[in-house]
Parts: sequence; C-alpha cells; structure tokens
Amino acid sequence: MLPNRAARQSCMPDFDPALVLAGPYHDLLVSGLKLSLQLLAITFVLSLPLATIVALLRLSPLRALRWFGCAYVESIRNVPLLAHMLFWYFGAPELYPESVKHWLYAMNIEAISAVIALTLYTSAFMSEDIRSGIRAVPAVQFEAGRAMGFGFLATMRLVILPQATRVTVPPLISQTLNLWKGTSIATVIGVSELMYQAAQVESASFRSFEAFVFATLAYLSVSLLITGAASWYQHRYPVRPT
Amino acid sequence: MRIRSLLTFITAGVIGLAASSAYADLLADIKSKGEIVVGVLGTDEPNSFVDPKTREFIGYEVDIATAIADKLGVKPVFKQLAVAARIPEIQQGRVDLLAASLTHNKERESQVDFSLTTFVTGQKVLVKKDGGIENVADLTGKKVLTVKGGTQEPNIRKAVPNVDVVTFETTQQAFLALQQGKGVGYVNDEASLLNDHAKLGDAKKNYRILPQNISVEPLALGIKKGEASLKAAVDGVLRELEASGEAEKIFFKWYGPDTRLQFQSRDFKIDSDKIEG
Repeated sequence: MLPNRAARQSCMPDFDPALVLAGPYHDLLVSGLKLSLQLLAITFVLSLPLATIVALLRLSPLRALRWFGCAYVESIRNVPLLAHMLFWYFGAPELYPESVKHWLYAMNIEAISAVIALTLYTSAFMSEDIRSGIRAVPAVQFEAGRAMGFGFLATMRLVILPQATRVTVPPLISQTLNLWKGTSIATVIGVSELMYQAAQVESASFRSFEAFVFATLAYLSVSLLITGAASWYQHRYPVRPT
Repeated sequence: MRIRSLLTFITAGVIGLAASSAYADLLADIKSKGEIVVGVLGTDEPNSFVDPKTREFIGYEVDIATAIADKLGVKPVFKQLAVAARIPEIQQGRVDLLAASLTHNKERESQVDFSLTTFVTGQKVLVKKDGGIENVADLTGKKVLTVKGGTQEPNIRKAVPNVDVVTFETTQQAFLALQQGKGVGYVNDEASLLNDHAKLGDAKKNYRILPQNISVEPLALGIKKGEASLKAAVDGVLRELEASGEAEKIFFKWYGPDTRLQFQSRDFKIDSDKIEG
C-alpha cells in the first residue's frame, strides 16, 4: 500500500502561482478585486456623512432625536452583517412598489443591495466612534461656543468637530478595516467581488490554494495600507492636550 | 520546560496518530470505525433534503447511500455540504463518500473517482412565461441565476456565450431570486427543476421549463481519488441493487408517478462508470 500512497500524494498538484498571476483566472481575480475596492470606496463615502448625522442625533438636545439615533445604532449593530446582506437583497426589495422594483432589478441589484447593507452596518459602528470622539472634547468647549452666540450645529462645526476629528480618525480607520473585510460577505448575494471570483476560479480549475492565496494577499495588502494610513495620521495629527 | 516537553510529546503523538490512520486503507478505516460519513447537499429535493417532521436527511441519494452502508455493515452518518465544498471535502478526507448530485465529467476525473452512474438528468432552464424567453438562445445578454460551484454555470456559459450569470450558495436561493424577478432564468438539473416547478403550486402556470437540454449530466457518487477498494465495494453494492431491482424501487419512490416529478419510466441503468465526451 505504501509506495502506491506516496505516488498518489505526489500527483496532488504543486503550488503554481503563475496560474493566478496571468491569464483568464488572473483577470477574473483582478476584476473581483476592483469590485471589492469599489464597494469599499462607495460605502466609505456614503457611511461617513450618515455616521456623523447619527452621532449628532445621539447628542442632540431633543430626546426624540436621541432616541431615534440610539434605536438606529442598536438595531443595526446587533445583527450580523450576513443577515443584513440577505435582508437587503432577498427581503427588502420585495416590499417596494412594482415599478421601483423593475427599475432596480434592471440594474446591478446585487451590488446595490450590498452597498446598502454595508453602508447601514458600517455607519452604525462609525457613528459610535464619532460620538465618543465628540464626547472626548471637554464640555466647556461646547459651552464656550454657545456663550459666544453660536447655535448647536455651528458650535459643532466650528469648535467641536475639528478637535474631535483628531481623536476620531484612528478608530474610524479601524472601522474601515472592518468594512474592507466585510465586503467579502457580499459573495452570498451573488456580487462578483474578490471572494466570489476566488470561488469561481476554484470551481473552474480546482486550484483552491492558488485562488485563495491570491485573495488573502489582496485583502492583506489593502488592510495593511489602511493600517499604515492610521499610524501616519496619528503621527501627523496627534491629539492636542486641552 | 516540563510542560513544553509534554506538549511536544502530545503534538508528536497526535501527528503520528493522524499519519498512521491516514496510511490505512479507507475501506478498512470505515469498517473499523463502524460508520461511513456521507456528504449530501440536503437542499436538493428529491436527491437529498431534510424531512420537515423528523429533521433527518431523506431522498434518492440518501437511500442509495444507506443501502451501501447496510451492505458494508456500517452506520451511515450524513454530513451536509455546500455545492462548492463537495470536492474539497472528499479530497481532504472529511467525508468518505459524496452523494451530493455530483456530475461525473472529464474535468473532475483528475480530482475525484466516480462510482457507477446512479442517475442521468439533463440540465435545463426554468423561466417566467411573461419574460419573453422562448428558447435557450434568447438568454443572450440576459441575467440567469444558479448555484455556485456546480456544472450549471460552465454549461450555461457554453450554451449561451454572452449570458450574464449570478450564482448563490444554494439552488433554492437562485430559485427564489428567479421568483423575485432578479434574473430571467434559473439553471439546474432537470429533475430538480421539475420538483421546484411543482413546488410553486398555483403560480406554476406562470413558469415553464425551456425544452432544450443545455447538457446531459450523469450523476455519480464521489470517492476519494485512488481509494480502489472502496470504489470496488461501492460499485459492487450498486450492481447488486440494480440486479435485485432495489435501485429501480428507490428511483420510483422519489421520482415515480406518485411523486411531484411524475417520471413514468426509468431511462438509465446503474451499470457503468464510463461517460461520453
């Protein structure tokens, strides 16, 4: 039995990076990486303003607004991203009117649903980071702004947010890291991002190892770039003592 | 230090054990364990699905695998797998046998061994009647839905070169997406499509299965590459089941006139592990 076994083991294909460094499989993986990066960019651009609004709602002087912000954060961040994805793809669109549905389904509904799910999810976490950043600015700063005659929003914009940004950016970058990894979950709703294409290459070529090594290295490099940006920012714009 | 050397010892022991068990013959392993781990889809009625009452796996492939386990004198243990995970699971030895609507094709022969063909089905496309799709060629440039990691996607791409394919983890998610209008067609094995179509109830009349086959799929059980004695044992049991009429009985139990699928006849025999092409 033994020599036979050894022969069998040696017929396992060797690791062949050339397979994913050029040719059709490479193109598939690169197109997946591009779509993942697009998901990251679009979601980031949409999440940031939404997160700021939610954070301000939670700090608002009006109880109803505070309650609304709190409900948003708790209801979204306590449900797994996978459930959000499936809901926004299979569930929610069925509730829209027929005409909206037709219009939506004619477009890339998979990617749109993924962006909606990722944006809502990411902004819930980011809003908490922004809120804690704002709260890190001493209350007297806010009071001083109000005493000089600025309203709530003007005080926030001119006095609080510029100071809070320095505290907030590092945790926000770490949320961006989570967002980047979260884009991979969009594979379950048929978005042809990097994980989807890696699985595609796997089932077409049976070269799982090469495909997922490519995906892993791509995720890792982008993540390290994001982490690098965080430490650069912390050096360049340290939190000022107040 | 003492703890570390203990750990080293344990690790070495575990590796040694794993290595020694890996070198035994798989059939002998199965017999000495007293159980055979069978990978099934569990989401593919009538081949393998979960009985809503008992929460057990049932279906055509489950019955065949159970018959094989009985003849080998071991207990069948069913393990649910995703379509895309089937071949990796068998290669890595986490399941002993695949009974998971597995198509036997030339490309896969280098990855896994196949038993005698246990079922033959065409692959077809289910569409909505008002979608304006009259034949397979009309799918050019349209979005069709199917499952990830099976032969459905490559086959539809071969049949319709410019088709846009979106794939999901299970066939039932792809079927749901078709019903919701997220694509114009849903590609699957004909036997599964007939079953899905029948499941629609009153809405059935709004859908139809396009008559053309995009391919003919011989389904077989999957066995880890090179496990000749297990393959011989499995094929032997399959031949016995065919000769005794048991295989035909199992076929009619799940596909026959009294089922949703209503096959009137059985157009194949379990007698060969050769495929065309």
